[in-house]
Amino acid sequence: MLESTVLSGHHDNSRAKTRMPDRMTISAEPNIRTGQWEDALTYVAVNADKAAYAELFSYFAPRLKAFGMKMFGNEQQALEMVQDTMLNVWKKANLFDASRGCASTWIFTIARNVRFDMLRKKQSRKDDISADDLWADGDYPEQEGSTTEQWETMLMSEKLAPHFDALPPAQRMVMQKVYLEEKSHQEVSDELGIPLGTVKSRIRLALDRLREALDDTRS
Amino acid sequence: MTHAVKFHPGMMLMEQYVEGTLSAEVALAVATHIDLCPHCQHLCQDLHNDQGSQLAKLAPETNNNADDFAQMLEFITAQQPNTGSHAPKQQESVTVNVNGREFRIPRALSRLVTQQSKWLQLGGIATAKLPAGEKTHVSLLYIDKGTEVPNHSHLGMEMTLVLSGRIYDESGEYGAGDLLINSPDDTHTPHTRADEDCLCLSVLSAPLKFNKGLVRLLNPLQQFFY
Repeated sequence: MLESTVLSGHHDNSRAKTRMPDRMTISAEPNIRTGQWEDALTYVAVNADKAAYAELFSYFAPRLKAFGMKMFGNEQQALEMVQDTMLNVWKKANLFDASRGCASTWIFTIARNVRFDMLRKKQSRKDDISADDLWADGDYPEQEGSTTEQWETMLMSEKLAPHFDALPPAQRMVMQKVYLEEKSHQEVSDELGIPLGTVKSRIRLALDRLREALDDTRS
Repeated sequence: MTHAVKFHPGMMLMEQYVEGTLSAEVALAVATHIDLCPHCQHLCQDLHNDQGSQLAKLAPETNNNADDFAQMLEFITAQQPNTGSHAPKQQESVTVNVNGREFRIPRALSRLVTQQSKWLQLGGIATAKLPAGEKTHVSLLYIDKGTEVPNHSHLGMEMTLVLSGRIYDESGEYGAGDLLINSPDDTHTPHTRADEDCLCLSVLSAPLKFNKGLVRLLNPLQQFFY
């Protein structure tokens, strides 16, 4: 049905005809609307919508078969993989989460896992390493706080460390007390016996230096 | 401060992992690394998106028996789809205990460690096997504080992923998430420091030539580590 709408679309679309030679319009990819497959999966998940599924199927099944032929070099196994994959797409559409990636990515991961388990089953015992162990399907728990942020902070500190060490000793001393020992400017001033203004200007100078050093390493 | 992962799998390993073309045991080491490494989690997601769009752009197989797909479609839509919305599975955290210590285990290993073999202990070192194929051995390797693993070379490939703690060798120090890959030519003497022990995942390919016979007797340690 996808094919037929696309073809009729081309036939009564004179604009397309004038813009490119006929044989190109015939071989052109059917126009896939952005979000079409994601919407289709949602219809399947919510209503077990067979028409929406049939569209997905007619697009992806032949492509999955091509993928399977490349991987197995054997039509029977390729078809087995297509069936298992598309069955999972039908049954588990409720697990599809568009915020994690598009439909084609999700379908790819299912096909990859089906194929992996097919090959693995043939050569070893059960309880062995399975696709479920190997691929979290993007399902990484948001660890305490934002890990990415923590990690970026760590990376930053790692990047900063050498430049920090390279600061002039007087500036480094002040920076260490303020940023690592978390002392107030006044405390540092008292401790080192230097004016408060000097503490502040050393901090400003040191920060400028670090900023410059980081900009240099960025490219 | 937590350790920032420094030793990552190379791009080729990551790509093959995403394609699903790595051997299961090597893929397991990569998967476990990814569990521990937010950087590689992002990379992995990008590689998946890339594979997904390649699949969508693939030229469809044209040499089809028309009935195959029609029957398949009919068979599939006759099945009952799962219902309910996606409730994120709450990963209960899995731990292993060794030497009086308890370690949290990354997701990729959480099912497999429930089937680990008994710990074998030799001095400050203990190993427990995880289920794997025949040609490659996968095990947990625990190294107590202040312990040196005797100098060894590898008959096959060795992958060591630090799960917890810290270990040092001639070329550097490795913390949680760091992945070391040693080829048969590398020799090294890994050791822990006096204040910190270490739990690793070890993947060893079988030394095919030396599996049997007298050679084994010459190298009693090999049997233990492998």
